[in-house]
Amino acid sequence: MRSRSLEVWKLGRVNYLEALKLQEKLASDRKAHKISDTLLSLQHPPTYTLGKRKTEHNLLVQISELEKMGAELHYTQRGGDITYHGPHQAILYPIISLRSVGLGARAYVENLELTMIEFASLYGVKAFPGKKGETGVWVQDRKIGAIGVRISSGITSHGLAFNIDPDLNYFKHIVPCGIADKEVTSLRRETGTVLPSEEVIHEQLISCFAKVFGFTSLVWKENASILSDNEKS
Amino acid sequence: MALRMWASSTANALRISVASKTNLSSSYSLSRCFSSVLDGLKYATSHEWVKHEGSVATVGITDHAQDHLGEVVFVDLPETGTSVTQGKGFGAVESVKATSDVNSPISGEIVEVNSKLSEAPGLINNSPFDEGWIIKVKPSNASELDSLMGPKEYTKFCEEEDAAH
Repeated sequence: MRSRSLEVWKLGRVNYLEALKLQEKLASDRKAHKISDTLLSLQHPPTYTLGKRKTEHNLLVQISELEKMGAELHYTQRGGDITYHGPHQAILYPIISLRSVGLGARAYVENLELTMIEFASLYGVKAFPGKKGETGVWVQDRKIGAIGVRISSGITSHGLAFNIDPDLNYFKHIVPCGIADKEVTSLRRETGTVLPSEEVIHEQLISCFAKVFGFTSLVWKENASILSDNEKS
Repeated sequence: MALRMWASSTANALRISVASKTNLSSSYSLSRCFSSVLDGLKYATSHEWVKHEGSVATVGITDHAQDHLGEVVFVDLPETGTSVTQGKGFGAVESVKATSDVNSPISGEIVEVNSKLSEAPGLINNSPFDEGWIIKVKPSNASELDSLMGPKEYTKFCEEEDAAH
């Protein structure tokens, strides 16, 4: 098996728009072969995002109320319906060339599902891919992980969001991913064991990602100046 | 044509197997053998096709592309009258799983968009080379077509891409 290297950026908590700008820049650099396949690992402050279909009807509160809750709303170019991001939810944004990993769009997303399923199994939680028309990863009929992906000239952006222990009340204001009558859950809620630190959890999720996608070497970037460097350039 | 029908019925069967999640890797390896490629069209590396007839070039995504994307649920169409540039995105196709930008294989002005796709995005899956066309373009530089792949080259390109898996 050929050695494949993945650059992993651990960014901590990042504002949604900043992360979006960073992804756009990296995707364009990846397309121009300036960088190798890259994985962003981060969390967002409370943010609701809509996909390309702009399904605002699945937002159940007035936009003015979102501000009062301290949450932002953003429109994005990813696939999928409305979703929530916030503290204690692990996010992976892979900026990878599908051609280099030899995957089509569907197989790519199935690998993202598998990443979260493998990760949940580390904690004895049995998760499954959504049924037809239901994206993300589920524990019985409770959603634990969401997926929203954009592919541009074969380069991926956006990605997956896995609920470690977010404030689940935020999900009450939306119909998550457009599927009504379904609950949202978290690793904390589904597992009886005590969870390690979120840093450890993020690393485990990254390891599952690398394993599922066949990346054999990881190059870690743990530099808080990445974002500010990006803004300057 | 028979092969084409077989191809689409295989694709349907695969979609069912994917939905039940029995064995993802084997369904994927099967699917690579059965996408069809039409003669008389030109192909881009980002998996769009273009058919140049008279003063108009019709553009869509290939069977290979739709198969890798899965069931299309939404097509983000551009406006008639806007211009497109070779290799640059003009719209997007969203499947149950992912949104993929669609690049134009040729530069020019959009003279027609397939508005049927708003109501029936699945035409992209069922008829990628015919009823699932996306835009018609009046090319500004027809010689751009020479930089695209022919059917044989494109078939080989897809095989190599899948083999990289």
